[in-house]
Amino acid sequence: MDEHVHDVSVASLLAKIDRGDPLLVLDVRNDEEFENWKIEGRRGVQFTHIPYFDFIEDEAAAMSKLPQQHGELIVVCAKGGSSAMVADLLRQSGVEAKNLDGGMVAYGEYLEPVRIPRAQSDPVGLEIWQINRRGKGCLSYVVACAGQAIVIDPSRNITVYEKLTDPAPLKIIAVLETHVHADHVSGGPELAARHHAAYVVSGGSEFDMKYSATALKDGNTLTLGDVQIRVLETPGHTPGSVCYLVADRYLISGDTLFTTSVGRPDLGGRTADWARSLFHTLRDKLSRLSPEVVVLPAHYAGASEIGANGIVSARLADLRHRLPEFSIDTEQAFIETMLRAVRTPPAAYADIIRTNLGSPAPDAAHITEWELGKNQCAAGTPH
Amino acid sequence: MKKLDVRGAKCPIPIVKAKKEIDQMQPGETLEVLSTDPGSMPDFRGWVQTSKIAILKEQRSEKDPGGQEVFVHVLERK
Repeated sequence: MDEHVHDVSVASLLAKIDRGDPLLVLDVRNDEEFENWKIEGRRGVQFTHIPYFDFIEDEAAAMSKLPQQHGELIVVCAKGGSSAMVADLLRQSGVEAKNLDGGMVAYGEYLEPVRIPRAQSDPVGLEIWQINRRGKGCLSYVVACAGQAIVIDPSRNITVYEKLTDPAPLKIIAVLETHVHADHVSGGPELAARHHAAYVVSGGSEFDMKYSATALKDGNTLTLGDVQIRVLETPGHTPGSVCYLVADRYLISGDTLFTTSVGRPDLGGRTADWARSLFHTLRDKLSRLSPEVVVLPAHYAGASEIGANGIVSARLADLRHRLPEFSIDTEQAFIETMLRAVRTPPAAYADIIRTNLGSPAPDAAHITEWELGKNQCAAGTPH
Repeated sequence: MKKLDVRGAKCPIPIVKAKKEIDQMQPGETLEVLSTDPGSMPDFRGWVQTSKIAILKEQRSEKDPGGQEVFVHVLERK
């Protein structure tokens, strides 16, 4: 029998969850991994957690823990091996079960491109895709016009960016970063090299960047057909963070501004200094943009932030109203708030930064370990 | 002490094979399992919590001569 009949892809599982199909996810990882990071969709997911080694130890006892009534049963583990074994055992006992192909590793690497709905005021030919790395909550962007494209903050699995068409394949002329990332290894250098495109990283110099990358300055403009992309220096999350304002309407905001929070300023050991910069970025720079600006961030924290149109975005005016960070009046109060919100940095962040600055990268399996779990780039709750 | 080399194998192989070995052993006998899968560390700890036949005596990680990280699990038959 074709074994693939019993596999389900990440794309197909997420589509089922998003539609609200009745299903049960049987997660067979150990307790620690299950507690840290789970499958998430635009609607709630029903889980049962029975580690795979419980099936090895005593199959009947493990089976008896499964709920009697459930929808389609999908088994999930870290890489897809143990879940395939458990799904097999279940089918041998007459319980229909499918295996998530590639497990949580595939879930963490899956990229979903969604086209941003056009506005009437948009320049003719402007197209923007938000590429949603749903397992990690990372967002990257492709801005296209007249057959040319600029890619912003790409993940390292770059084929998704190369496959976008409008309607013909797009010519990638530049790859931009909003900052040096600490949560994922960038696909930028490889993508730029493959397409002989410019690679632009602002703030790389202060970190001793080893790639030959261009740094842009505040007010610089990139032109793509009839579309202007303006660079805004927005230090705070890192000293070199920038935002890109596309056609005076779409703010590709990196880790400076999210739809439910702001970027954490505590990953460099100089939290007070970086928080001071972030205060002025929010108050003196972003607050002066048009309230109608559409904020397109580099991360989100939960699937509830994905809108009905499939996009993670917010009107700037709504964020200024909604986010407490915008209503703190003084620099001192803002810094104190950020200092109270300092959290432990993610495990591999220093290794990831080094790789993104051009140090030799380890093998793919190693990078996969570094990148496991959701991003932790937003400022925490003050405590 | 018996040895089980499952270097290079991914889960569920290390625990499947360790369980098979332990099933054949006498109470008090020990088994040393060598694995290269970092996930084997929490997985062996999780397995012995419910296992009726295996106790985890020791876990450590070391580098083999080639520089590869190896996770060592020492199990005892209950």
